[in-house]
Amino acid sequence: MKCRRCKEPAQVALPSHNTAFCPDCFFLFYLRQIERAVKDHAMLVPEDRVLVALSGGKDSLALMVALAELGYDVTGLHISLGIPGSSDEARRIVTEFCAQRGFALEIVDTPALGLAIPEVKARLRRPICAVCGKIKRHYFNLAAIEGGYSVLATGHNLDDETARLFANTIRWDPDYLAGQGPSLPAAGGFPRKVKPLYRLGEYENACFAFLKGLTYATTPCPYSQGASFTGHKALLETLELRSPGAKIAFYDGFLARGRPAFEARCAAASRPLVPCARCGAPTNESPCGVCRIRALLAETPDAV
Amino acid sequence: MITVVREPEGREQTFEHVHTVHKLLNKLGARPGAVLVIRGAELLTQDRRIEDGELIIVRKVRSSG
Repeated sequence: MKCRRCKEPAQVALPSHNTAFCPDCFFLFYLRQIERAVKDHAMLVPEDRVLVALSGGKDSLALMVALAELGYDVTGLHISLGIPGSSDEARRIVTEFCAQRGFALEIVDTPALGLAIPEVKARLRRPICAVCGKIKRHYFNLAAIEGGYSVLATGHNLDDETARLFANTIRWDPDYLAGQGPSLPAAGGFPRKVKPLYRLGEYENACFAFLKGLTYATTPCPYSQGASFTGHKALLETLELRSPGAKIAFYDGFLARGRPAFEARCAAASRPLVPCARCGAPTNESPCGVCRIRALLAETPDAV
Repeated sequence: MITVVREPEGREQTFEHVHTVHKLLNKLGARPGAVLVIRGAELLTQDRRIEDGELIIVRKVRSSG
């Protein structure tokens, strides 16, 4: 198989684009996909100070490298969650990655803030992935606001986005469908949020990370076993194998023809953001979700 | 004979008479696009030949939380 651009031996085959690339031409393709996402959804401007959420996985590290190569002013943000067997490795990888490449890094340590995820899991009778996501988003917002960053970028990829869209669709959840997309404008004290990798799948990100020599975390979160998104990704992977390009068509079609209908339906019912009475973070309902979790922890000291 | 290391599990397997990436993925039941096939510092597409004595890493790409 030859590279479509330069005819050297290809190392990355992309059936969804009916093409294959050598490493150098793949890097060009990869950056162009990000530039297209940024342009199509007005994600970034050259003056932006971009806070990049770094989990230590391939997607977020690849995003950081790519945005820096495209000339953006990037700073990393890592949320350390205190999960045995995964958080320490992720923190070490992110710290070494930023040190080696000269990136500034901020770390938020949730156990030091009274929100170690194992403790939260043991004491709340709610799905831990949803609670963990809420806590991470809270500190993403807080770090961006307090640090004066204009935009928060996350490494969500095409597989993440289509799995989420599939989940929202099979539930026909109008609020979630109205709110899903690769770019959310700044509003009510929240920073702008962007997903510049939404056109690139896990395979492309893994190829980019490998060919750039990135060391990334591969230990799965011990609490993620049986998570519905993993099953949805497997289903969509089967669809993509049979119909290359199906995932991006599903997602782009939703953005163009599906989301506007849900946005119109939900706009009238949306509640304005208010500051949380306890922590000041913008929220639809005060106290905010994280302060409510703290209150539940305080009320249920011995719950299992 | 080729040696294959599966990641992230770290499991090692050996195979006889497997001389292309396509055949290797079939043997492993792995879908192209779901794994990276790595030889040294290069990625191998499905049509590439594999020679006896080589070490191949097959790395799952799907993150699971």
